[in-house]
Amino acid sequence: MIRRLKYAVKRALGLDLAGKHYTVYPDDTFLVSYPKSGNTWVRFLLANLIHPNETVGFSNINRLLPAPGVLTRRFLRTLPRPRIMKSHEPFDVRFRKVIYLVRDPRDVAVSEYHFDLKKRYIDAGMTLDQFVRLYIAGGTSSYGSWWEHAASWIGPRYGNPAFLLVRYEDLLGDPIAETGKIAEFLGIKADQDRLKAAVERSSADRMRKLEKQDADQWTGTKNTVKEIPFVRAAKSGGWKESLSPQLVEEIEVAWFPLMNFLGYELQSRELDGKAMPAWMKTGQTL
Amino acid sequence: MMNHVIAGVKRSLGLHKPGKSLLILPDDIFLVSFPKSGNTWTRFLLANLRFPDQQATWENIDRLIPDPTGTTKKDFDRMPRPRIIKSHECFDPRYPRVVYIVRDPRDVVVSQYHYHRKIRKIVDDSPIETFVGRFMAGETCPHGSWGQNIATWLYTSEGDPRFLLLRYEDLVADTARELAKVVDFLHLSAGPAQIAQAVERSSADRMRKLEQAQADKNGLFKGSRNDLSFVRAAGSGGWRKELPAPMVSKMESAWGPLMQHLGYELATRAPSEARDLESIGTLSPRR
Repeated sequence: MIRRLKYAVKRALGLDLAGKHYTVYPDDTFLVSYPKSGNTWVRFLLANLIHPNETVGFSNINRLLPAPGVLTRRFLRTLPRPRIMKSHEPFDVRFRKVIYLVRDPRDVAVSEYHFDLKKRYIDAGMTLDQFVRLYIAGGTSSYGSWWEHAASWIGPRYGNPAFLLVRYEDLLGDPIAETGKIAEFLGIKADQDRLKAAVERSSADRMRKLEKQDADQWTGTKNTVKEIPFVRAAKSGGWKESLSPQLVEEIEVAWFPLMNFLGYELQSRELDGKAMPAWMKTGQTL
Repeated sequence: MMNHVIAGVKRSLGLHKPGKSLLILPDDIFLVSFPKSGNTWTRFLLANLRFPDQQATWENIDRLIPDPTGTTKKDFDRMPRPRIIKSHECFDPRYPRVVYIVRDPRDVVVSQYHYHRKIRKIVDDSPIETFVGRFMAGETCPHGSWGQNIATWLYTSEGDPRFLLLRYEDLVADTARELAKVVDFLHLSAGPAQIAQAVERSSADRMRKLEQAQADKNGLFKGSRNDLSFVRAAGSGGWRKELPAPMVSKMESAWGPLMQHLGYELATRAPSEARDLESIGTLSPRR
């Protein structure tokens, strides 16, 4: 009861964590992705792009590119508009303008396994095989399965001018060009030098150094297993070494229509290139 | 500020409406649809099936099958489990089991048009053309456009054993048969006699009579026009008379593939496109 009243007072003052209960404005832009799909990297890229005079790090990233889930409602209210915020939510009709970052679900599986060990979300003894089966069933995340998440956004929004689909792999391949696309989508005028500077300041090496410095000052790394880094491989295709062919097949059988749609080459020749059903290609006008 | 304090006290007593913060239990069942797609009728059907000792009325329906935005947390906490909960939300991965009702959007728009007249959101001579435009843009309710709401559920969940898709039109055509599917899906113990009783107790006629007697007993009708009834035609295909042809073709060009996938025959589209539907078989069960 006391705890509830305390929460009530906090809420009245706008000092409670916003979670899902904050006002979304029509001019907000959301950087949305399934967890472990490069969201933090893009937050750094955008924060460095938007605030070239600040030193972006883990201690201030929640302020510079806010995550509503871990900030107070009052803070979100006082942000200058138009706001750019990070989210892992599956489809939310209130989000009008969305950058959707997607990553090969086979790499997401490996990344999430290490992250969940770091965060102690899973038992230290859980094997990758056990984890991946849970992952396919959507049992490792409160945001749904990879399929559910990607389909919930791409289904109704793909083709809409207020929806930008970015593949993590393309961002790795040519970070300057892809960051340029995002900047254009956001209406930020940035020349090559500014884009290049943002990319350099957000490099995996630099982020690893910053993580060592600031690990205790960021919600993502505070009180986690220090031996497992947050910024890990920062590459694509790592699944080829980590996942058994059997596990890869299970992922592909479950999710091949979207994986093909997104251009992820499948190990299974049978499933590779099989198209999405026609009715799923209606995003433009939904 | 004062409002905040009142809300805070209500919250600490559980008298607030939980909305999205409702604590979802692993055996919860969600009855989901876009608005004006037969959700209320299905609520009556399921309530009469699940609670045969208390006939569903406009007075108790919000308690028997509540909506998180319309019933207090306290009432939710008191419900017998498994709970059946009503929702119009787009895809939510937290819902453990979902019965999703879909209805021909051409009928949905006509139904919503009349409903908005009843609740005084639009005036009588408001042109339906304007309404269709707003409907398609998702501006007539807070749950996305018809296409968006449907797509978020179908893309994510079709073929999933925890998801049951029902068409309003099938429910109208053979209510008992469709209700039997729900009984199966939810593992309820109800035989043909109980199903027949639930259908009888939820008939459009009975719901209309109850509405006349209890118009003041449900928040749904508060401040709305008494000369227009909530339970209207309760049929399918009314759009053929009420929806101007250009509006029909506008809706079909936007949502045609999705409508065909759901078995709604298009009035304006060349039949050749139907061939694309064969590829739907490529979508496998995902779990």
